[in-house]
Amino acid sequence: MSERTRRRLADFPYWLLALALLAVLTSWAIVSNEGYADIFHALSGGVVTTIWVSLVAFTLAIVLGLLFALMRTSRQPVLVQIATFYVELVRGIPILVFLFYIAFVGAPATIVAANWVTHPLQAIGLMPALTVRNFDLTWRAIIALMVCYSAFLSEVFRAGIQAVPGGQVEAARALGLSPRQIFRKIVAPQAFRIILPPLGNDFVSMIKDTALVSSLGVADITQLGKVYSAATFKFFETYNVVAFLYLTMTISLSLLVRFIERRLHRY
Amino acid sequence: MKPAVTALAATVFAALMVSAAVAATALPDLKGRTIQAVTENAYTPLNFADPKTGQGIGWEYDAVNEIGKRLNAKIVWNTMAWDPMIQAVHDGQYDIGMDGISITDDRKKQVDFSDPYMDNKEYMLVRKDEKRITQPGDLVTNTDLLIGAQSGTSGFYASEDLLNPNLKDGDKPDDSRIKLFDTFGASVQALKTGDVDMVLMDQASVQGYLAADPGVFQTIGDPIGSDQFGFIFKPGSDLVAPVNAALASMKSDGTLDALNRKWFFEYNAAH
Repeated sequence: MSERTRRRLADFPYWLLALALLAVLTSWAIVSNEGYADIFHALSGGVVTTIWVSLVAFTLAIVLGLLFALMRTSRQPVLVQIATFYVELVRGIPILVFLFYIAFVGAPATIVAANWVTHPLQAIGLMPALTVRNFDLTWRAIIALMVCYSAFLSEVFRAGIQAVPGGQVEAARALGLSPRQIFRKIVAPQAFRIILPPLGNDFVSMIKDTALVSSLGVADITQLGKVYSAATFKFFETYNVVAFLYLTMTISLSLLVRFIERRLHRY
Repeated sequence: MKPAVTALAATVFAALMVSAAVAATALPDLKGRTIQAVTENAYTPLNFADPKTGQGIGWEYDAVNEIGKRLNAKIVWNTMAWDPMIQAVHDGQYDIGMDGISITDDRKKQVDFSDPYMDNKEYMLVRKDEKRITQPGDLVTNTDLLIGAQSGTSGFYASEDLLNPNLKDGDKPDDSRIKLFDTFGASVQALKTGDVDMVLMDQASVQGYLAADPGVFQTIGDPIGSDQFGFIFKPGSDLVAPVNAALASMKSDGTLDALNRKWFFEYNAAH
């Protein structure tokens, strides 16, 4: 066996083959077993909710996290202090607790503030008074996830930014590039490669953490699973399907991240 | 100990002694067999941790201990969360499980139930300033109103029945106006902030929440709900018949009524 074939055999993604086999077996069980088909049908309505919550919350968390990472790596002491305060405070609070804070303290307070601001418009009848009902529970969950994950992501971004050697930034500055140009042309392209694996990692973890929103009345996969299993007492079967659905999403995402990584390292 | 409680304890004790003497002859004898019992300690006053000692106490503890006494069996207590508890009983890890579990046909396919030991009544808890709800029917006609509940609880099923009065067998109930929360606490918080307009709960819990947050909530209308609680066993368990026999004897001699008085009225009054 040549050295080349040996390496090719060793590099073959057997793990993917094994996962694919698992997926085929589980799909077969779902199709052929009436009980599993019922469960699958009952939970499928939550898939869209889970994907929607994950996507929106993660996108927003990236924006907010990048903002705090830029603040933390800036040369303004005030911004550094504020960003550090935020990250240390937020990432130490359990997500579930945060979810309840946002939902039952933050949201009602926001509505009170919004009513106060729009009071003149309400007085002349241009808009009705807002109630806490106008602030959708799904959005409260999304905001809580966004805030929690932005703290973690800002540290990922900071690691990426700081991994670019300082000499390069100094050289760019000496060449007369503006700070914005330096970030866009020197720092960001290199940092992106570094942060991609941990970013993918956090996205996978976010998809799983969206299960927490089920405790807030959002009908995601997990909540529909809880409802179904509580009604039928088929806990094991139901959670098998829950695991299958989450795995399908997380593994597809992992493969996508791998694909992007490979593209980036081509040059 | 307060006089009322002492008097009550004496009554219960006397009732138990008499009934034990009467019933002992007719009931099956399990010959000192050990019964592994499991509950969650999260359902006051059926099963909960005594705030002072941390020990599990409540209606179901007393009832099952008494059943053990009548059947000559030793009860060993375990605690576990709801989801794994039912699976564990189904798998035979524990012999008898309880947590105010409503008896339903779907669930009977997974576990065996004892005869019902309690009729569940649900009370409508609303905000103090609620004007739109005066009776259960208002929740059917006014489609703006939302109900808060936890999946799988008797409150959830009662809410489902309430919102779907004309449901035929096999129809899928419409749950779109039921918002599900993980705990009672969260659904009551949602009621307080205005996310939902009504939460169904049993009398003991209602009293607890009314007392904890004076002036915020009120109960409205007559209690609703028609489900019944049963103990659960692994399918085919040989304990179902003896436990049913013991339950029947405790019903006929007034022990169950004494337990209802003790845990639903006197226990609350004493605190």
